[in-house]
Amino acid sequence: MYDVTRRRFIQLSGAGGLALLPGMIRPARAAGGRIALYNGQHRPPVEALVAAFTKATGIEVAIRHGNSAQLASQIVEEGANSPADVFWSEESPSLVATARKGLLAPLLPETLKQVGAEWSAKDGSWIGATARCRVIVYNKSMIEEAALPASVLDFAAESWKGKVAFAPNSGAFQQQIMAIAILKGRDTALAWLKGLRDFGETYNSDSAAVEAVEGGDLPIALSNNYYWYALAREIGAADMNSAIYNIGHGDPGTLVTVSGAGVLKSAKNVEAAQSFVAFMVSAEGQQAIVDAIAEYPLRPGIVSPFPLTPFDKLDPAPVTPDQLGDAEEALTLLREAGLA
Amino acid sequence: MSDALGDLEAGAGRIRLPSTRRRGRPSSLLVLAAAIPTILILLPIIYVVLRSWNAGWYAIAAELARPRTALLFWNTTVLTVSVTVLSAIIGFAGAWLTERCDLPGRAIWRVALSLPLAMPAFVASFAWKSMGSEFQGLTGAVLILTLESFPLIYLPVAAALRSMDPAMEEVSRSLGRSPRYTFLAVVVPRALPALGGGALLVAAHMLSEFGALALLRVQTLTTAIFQQYELQFDNATAAVLSALLMLLCLPVVLAEIRLRHGHRVSKVGRNTARQRALVPLGRYAFPAILGLVALTILSLGIPFGRLGYWLLVGLSAGRGLDTLGPALGGSISLAIAGTLVTTIVALPLVLLALKSGGIFARIADRLPYVVHGLPGLVVALALVYFAIRLFPPLYQTAWVLFAAYAILFLPLAQSAIRASAELVPRELEEVARTLGRGPLKAFASVTLPALAPGLGAALALVALELMRELTATLILAPTGVSTLATEVWSHTNDGAYAAAAPFAALLVLISGVPVYLFTRRTLIPRRG
Repeated sequence: MYDVTRRRFIQLSGAGGLALLPGMIRPARAAGGRIALYNGQHRPPVEALVAAFTKATGIEVAIRHGNSAQLASQIVEEGANSPADVFWSEESPSLVATARKGLLAPLLPETLKQVGAEWSAKDGSWIGATARCRVIVYNKSMIEEAALPASVLDFAAESWKGKVAFAPNSGAFQQQIMAIAILKGRDTALAWLKGLRDFGETYNSDSAAVEAVEGGDLPIALSNNYYWYALAREIGAADMNSAIYNIGHGDPGTLVTVSGAGVLKSAKNVEAAQSFVAFMVSAEGQQAIVDAIAEYPLRPGIVSPFPLTPFDKLDPAPVTPDQLGDAEEALTLLREAGLA
Repeated sequence: MSDALGDLEAGAGRIRLPSTRRRGRPSSLLVLAAAIPTILILLPIIYVVLRSWNAGWYAIAAELARPRTALLFWNTTVLTVSVTVLSAIIGFAGAWLTERCDLPGRAIWRVALSLPLAMPAFVASFAWKSMGSEFQGLTGAVLILTLESFPLIYLPVAAALRSMDPAMEEVSRSLGRSPRYTFLAVVVPRALPALGGGALLVAAHMLSEFGALALLRVQTLTTAIFQQYELQFDNATAAVLSALLMLLCLPVVLAEIRLRHGHRVSKVGRNTARQRALVPLGRYAFPAILGLVALTILSLGIPFGRLGYWLLVGLSAGRGLDTLGPALGGSISLAIAGTLVTTIVALPLVLLALKSGGIFARIADRLPYVVHGLPGLVVALALVYFAIRLFPPLYQTAWVLFAAYAILFLPLAQSAIRASAELVPRELEEVARTLGRGPLKAFASVTLPALAPGLGAALALVALELMRELTATLILAPTGVSTLATEVWSHTNDGAYAAAAPFAALLVLISGVPVYLFTRRTLIPRRG
């Protein structure tokens, strides 16, 4: 009985598979009204922007989602043959690394003018689109806000043993290491990491760390601000057990990092690619992005619908994306501390 | 891994002549066809060696001497050994209960014990960890992964217990041996190859597991390799760790070869359809049922319950539902086509190894098992590296992805095909040749039909793995193509669990199709 079924199964799947093959062997090269976007940023803002862009210009966008650092290494590996037209990175270091390999084309001066110069590459190879902030997320029923320390550096101590969640894999965490190294010196950064290694709890991502705090596993997480808002969106802000705390006063615990994009030198459709990045920092594009994720718009005059701490009240660490560079030193430090 | 699957197949092989292991000269066509998978398999090995070489001897030595490397090695070993042993115990006990005891509702329990195969480990891990931090860590990972891995042992062992000739046990009992002695001296040794084959499959899965372990905060060689690629563009460390992982696969491969040799003995007298007396459970019936109920709740109830919970409670429910269709289409089309490619590529490798006893044929046959423990990420990056340099027009076409699928899952296809191929007497094809058929035609009309059961099992098993494959798909799929697995990954990445739930549920459901096709041979009693 099953012999017949099996034979039919093989025949059917064979026929089906072969019928499907031709449709899939076309490479997704950008041609005419179509660009290929390598995306390392979270999906909701990207999908919102792409929808608005296609509606406004008729240009279609094929999106390849991935992790920013992995996409950057893929672009480097692809070199001049890269099928990508635009690279949208969650973190600036991936853009810096791609630019250093000479793979990014200069953006249009008109585009670069739309956001403050401090948020983009000096040579105009990439532009910041949104900013986010390193924050402390704490569980309200486990710890009082008043009991939180004055600096993120204080967490690397035995008194906080088992209480602090952090994600060494996170790109933003690496930028925080860089900021500490720049502001307080390499030795301080290394000692901080060793302290976190001994007394902190490692998680695979910021979002996992925030969930652990929300779930009451431990009281504190070092995270980007929007992971808390993403969870609040899922659970309902009123039901949240956790809250955000901004350290401020220039401490590296409050670090502003940017997400941005660049056009590849090897882009097949340069004009459309440039117009995509221009749209990203246009009033319409910025609004579409910040409506979908709790990040700060970098174009002046745009308002986020999320109840974010006002950008000018953050009082963040005085470090620019340009100073953070490709954050390679952070990896060396992570390795020296035995966290990677 | 091979003959564990073989036991599922053996009954379906209709031609059963004693196989004389005469080695002939394989045709050059076959050698040529077998060269394709061999070259594919060599790509990631060359890539890992090349990248480690770039790092230099000093860096390799320094990497190996780090305390962290020792920790990763230890975690990987503990996890692999523990999950394998626990799965073996649960799988064997389950098989014994459903095949040899007068357990009420055996048909239902067979289904319940096979179904966890359709549950991807990362879905189950997500469900567990969202219930509390106590399930995180090495202990939690061992328990959770065991719950989803044991069917890989249950299925072949159940098939072996079923197909064993009862005469041996009856002889033992009639000679005055106790039931316990008979069980240990007659039943266990003959179920061992099936058990071992399944255990090796579990072990290889554990070596390359990433998603579940990342969620459960366990660091192994594989998660460290992922971390390296996430952190940096220079992958020397990752390459060294990959090489270490391949070395860890070696004992697994060697054990598999040993088991295969031991297994030949037990091939005599399979496929007996004679009725056997079931062991009365008596007062143990209640605890046995209780245990099976608990096992079912833990392995199926909790993951499904959790998916339903998020769907009802999460506010992101319904987000991105319009991509459900394309993702389902992507999963099915990539899995079916990839399965066909993998199976077709595996076929000459098996035939060559059977026909020629030469050292090269045997190495070519074993090499895929060494690569089987490598994470998909390493294989994918190796293919990016070679495709861009050697075949730029093929890059980011589905063909490169299929090549990755073939590299990753060849051993599954090989094992299933070999089980059938070993049963085909070579003389048959020679008879066809002497009757004037050409080599291809003789193969197509004689050998291929006899291989059908093995090919069917290979297709189902590979399709199951491909549907949940994540990392190679993310890196190599044509831009814009999504699958259910990649959608689950991106939604959970954004913390949108309710949005991820329908994709995860659909993934489990369609995984049920190959599981059904693969297990029905075991689950549905054969007709005399």
